[in-house]
Amino acid sequence: MQAAKLQPGDILVKTLIWGFLILVCIYCLIPFAWMLSTSLKTEAEAFRMPPTWIPLKLTADSYIGIWVRKNFGIYFFNSTIISLATAVLSTFFGALAGYGFSRFFFKGRRFLIGFFLATQMLPGVLLVGPYFKILSKVGLYDTRTGLIIAFLTICLPFSTWMMKGFIDKVPDELDQSAMVDGCSRLGIFFKIVLPIVAPGMVATILFAFLLAWGDLLWALCLTSSESMITVTLGIARTVGEFRIIWPMLMAGSLVGGMPAILLYIFLQRLLVQGLTAGAVKE
Amino acid sequence: MWIKDRHMWMVFVLPGVILLILVLGWPAITSILYSFETEQAGDAAYTLANYKSLLKDPFFSTTFWNTTVFVFFSVALHMILGLAVAMVLNSALPAKPMFRVIALLPWVVPDVVAGIIWKWMYDPIYGALNDLLIKIGLLENPIEWLSNPKLAMTSAILVNLWRGFPFVMLILLAGLQSIPRHLYEAAAIDGAPKLQQFIHITLPGLKKMIVVALALDIVWEVRRFGLIQAMTQGGPGVLTEVLSTYTYKQYFKFFRFEYASAISVVMTIVLLLVSLPYIWMISQEE
Repeated sequence: MQAAKLQPGDILVKTLIWGFLILVCIYCLIPFAWMLSTSLKTEAEAFRMPPTWIPLKLTADSYIGIWVRKNFGIYFFNSTIISLATAVLSTFFGALAGYGFSRFFFKGRRFLIGFFLATQMLPGVLLVGPYFKILSKVGLYDTRTGLIIAFLTICLPFSTWMMKGFIDKVPDELDQSAMVDGCSRLGIFFKIVLPIVAPGMVATILFAFLLAWGDLLWALCLTSSESMITVTLGIARTVGEFRIIWPMLMAGSLVGGMPAILLYIFLQRLLVQGLTAGAVKE
Repeated sequence: MWIKDRHMWMVFVLPGVILLILVLGWPAITSILYSFETEQAGDAAYTLANYKSLLKDPFFSTTFWNTTVFVFFSVALHMILGLAVAMVLNSALPAKPMFRVIALLPWVVPDVVAGIIWKWMYDPIYGALNDLLIKIGLLENPIEWLSNPKLAMTSAILVNLWRGFPFVMLILLAGLQSIPRHLYEAAAIDGAPKLQQFIHITLPGLKKMIVVALALDIVWEVRRFGLIQAMTQGGPGVLTEVLSTYTYKQYFKFFRFEYASAISVVMTIVLLLVSLPYIWMISQEE
């Protein structure tokens, strides 16, 4: 049917569409190609004119250097621990609240939903000042625990939304019949609902993980010593150094961005729903 | 059970609410209170001094204006490119998932990484962009993308276009896929041209998604920090300084906590006003 209808005009439109799509792909990919290319160069070649796209001399020195000469191991450890703890905590409390919002229609429900949504709109800079002072006072400044608490502000509202979305899909009849059988609400939540939404829970944990992983502001304001900083802050500090070693910085950026790239591609089907508080259901 | 089932919501919802009040509500209110204090006046007195000096601070007005320009053009360009790519991807196309992943890449890397890649892309001597543009003949001499005062903001917006359009694309794509195909088929049978179909079917069908994308995008772009911080740190001068980087400087470079709080309160008010329709829409649906 398609072939029968094909006219010269259609071919022009098709060509334009493909041309546009290819341009968009180039726009999206070129910076990544440049990052990869630079990360595989020697330092001397990175400062060559004109720049080379395919390194004349391929070297993995930068990828070794970030672990050996820079403290990337420590940054990675910190980022992983902090993001994971944040993600698990926020998803647990998010699942509880999500179940509450999904199953109960109580007075003030709309208000609380609005409250959760509004907290997602606050700028981080509103909170970093008090956090700096409070955490310093209680001895949690420049600690992983301090950052975990801070990241809950970003992740908890988000996790609640996502978990509510997944729990909404579990039919309420399951809960009702379990209650008839004498199961308590908490029992239903832990033994029936959570196992069903386990895949969604994993997705929520991963998303919350990535939210925390990508942050710079909080890490910049709430940590200072080399042993406590995160990957993003480690990368940002390298830019501030007097002499930037670009191949190493690019290798670090690539490695630091990799968990995000891989997980997002893996999770992209759920992305829209999670980020729009279920306003868009894919 | 000693709690009636209709009260059980408290067991589920309150831990989250209390946690949120502790980690977010309390610091937010503390910050608002700071903004009414001054270093000189002592603890007891609340004044409007910070807000008054805000109005007189030329850097604040510059930064506010910069943020407005940055957000306006970023969001407008996100919408245009996002919609265009979404429409292309929504048509029957081979290898659609692959294109979707490619178009999503700029959005998934951490802000800092995006900022740093582009700082290096833009490098006037060793960077890739000048080299490419000269090679394909669009440019004769290298351009100083980030250090030329006339170009710095434009360059920053272009990076942010790259970074932010995928999200708008993703939302609008989801919206496009929810518009029933038969509407277009019916219109085609009636002989309605493509432009008419776009105006009378596509845009109305996307209305809600456009509201969602606009609200979230504006909020995120106003808050954008890591990208600018990694790329220009607000420079040259204050030409790419936005509210979030300026507030950060007030806090941790000049240690004017009260003043910084006042700026962030203004930011918060703006953000809540912008997102109010969105919050309203969703909480009504629930």
